[in-house]
Amino acid sequence: METILIAVAAVLFLVISVYYYNKIVRLENRIDNSWAQIDVQLKRRADLIPNLMEAVKGYMKHEKTVLENVTKARSALMSAKTPQESIDADNMLTGALKSLFAVSENYPDLKASQNFLQLQDELTTTENKVAYSRQHFNDSVLLFNNTIEAIPGNLFAKLMGKKEREMLKAEEADRKVPKVSF
Amino acid sequence: MAKRLLLEDQISRNKRNTVIICALMFILLFGVISVMGYIWFGEPLYATVIGIPIALVYILMSYRFSVEAVIKASGARPVDLSVRQEKLLDNKVEELCIASGLPKPRVYIQDTQDINAFATGKKPENSVVCVTMGALEKLTGEELEGVLAHELAHIQNRDVLLATVTIGVVGSIALISEILLRSFLWGGGSSREGKHIYLILLGILFAILAPIFAHMTHLAISRKREYLADASGAHMTRNPGGLASALEKIQKSVPVKPKGSKTVASLYISNPFSRSKKSSFWSTHPPTDERIERLRNM
Repeated sequence: METILIAVAAVLFLVISVYYYNKIVRLENRIDNSWAQIDVQLKRRADLIPNLMEAVKGYMKHEKTVLENVTKARSALMSAKTPQESIDADNMLTGALKSLFAVSENYPDLKASQNFLQLQDELTTTENKVAYSRQHFNDSVLLFNNTIEAIPGNLFAKLMGKKEREMLKAEEADRKVPKVSF
Repeated sequence: MAKRLLLEDQISRNKRNTVIICALMFILLFGVISVMGYIWFGEPLYATVIGIPIALVYILMSYRFSVEAVIKASGARPVDLSVRQEKLLDNKVEELCIASGLPKPRVYIQDTQDINAFATGKKPENSVVCVTMGALEKLTGEELEGVLAHELAHIQNRDVLLATVTIGVVGSIALISEILLRSFLWGGGSSREGKHIYLILLGILFAILAPIFAHMTHLAISRKREYLADASGAHMTRNPGGLASALEKIQKSVPVKPKGSKTVASLYISNPFSRSKKSSFWSTHPPTDERIERLRNM
């Protein structure tokens, strides 16, 4: 009788362990995956900038500072090493692009250009994608942290040497997705 | 329902309610099978041999009903990416999928002036979101985003799969009850003597009422899933106001009967076939006012 009880308890323990081990691994991979998603969108955004520059340079010769700011923000984004650095550079780029699009209002020929319109749409959607992938990243981190802090997840997390992950901080200004006016 | 509920609470409460109602439905199915067993063989469990295969066949039959069939019946067409408005819609869907971690569904458009949308697909990898031209033209960016998030939430919560299974169970309950009632009419059942007459009458009554109850539970599930999709959609966009104001617009608009059969009514964001304000046991959707209020309180 006793041996049966011990066997049942052992099997139960094994099942729970496997469940939690897999759960923690899965949730942690999800965080890495959602970071990769942010990265993809940031890269895509950086890749679009040269095209934009090409499209506007004929029209906006006299807006040197605006164009320079965009280029500067882009190279900051390209050379960023940590997640927080990339996010900061991306915020800078958002600001620079906002003033570029604001200035573009003064150039009717540019605004009428099909190419410029397409680039503007493309940049808007990547901007939204960056915002949403950051939200997804933070959701994933929250779920992971909740799992490894609550009982019994905390025991397994300790055994696996898993630590809490950090969320990406949102700046007050970029909580709201910036809208590009058309 | 003036109580303020946290979004997470709403999500988990609706999920729990669905489980309870689903359990009720299976109890009902088991009940009809038992009554059949008792009346035919004098032993409730005997009829499981007939009842369970019937139920399985029914569920499998309703499972076969495919994404393509729904799309075809609704007369929708894929988005045309060369049109700017439709390209922007496609972008929006992709953005929201990133927010929820879903694979991107195919995007379709229904050329009608009614404001509506639906989603279909039993698994996220093969699903479709369809928006009417009216919704695309009359809703603002935030409203459209709210509507799309609601539809993606249906996909994420696997509501189409759930509906498919419940329709299957409802169908089999109806069929078994029908067989039972007919067997009474034709004096079937080999060994009627020796059974209590009241029990038999009770059995008949049960066979009459069970399909009605089954249908009602199916509709109750459908309504719970609408609330759930509203709440998880709001979680996706972090903006419950968008969907709330879209629903207000839909409520004010004059409904236009869409192409397609009534069986897909529960897929739409707001039932296109009836837009009564009252809640009833016979509606596929909760009353719009109540949905708006809950969204506004999030």
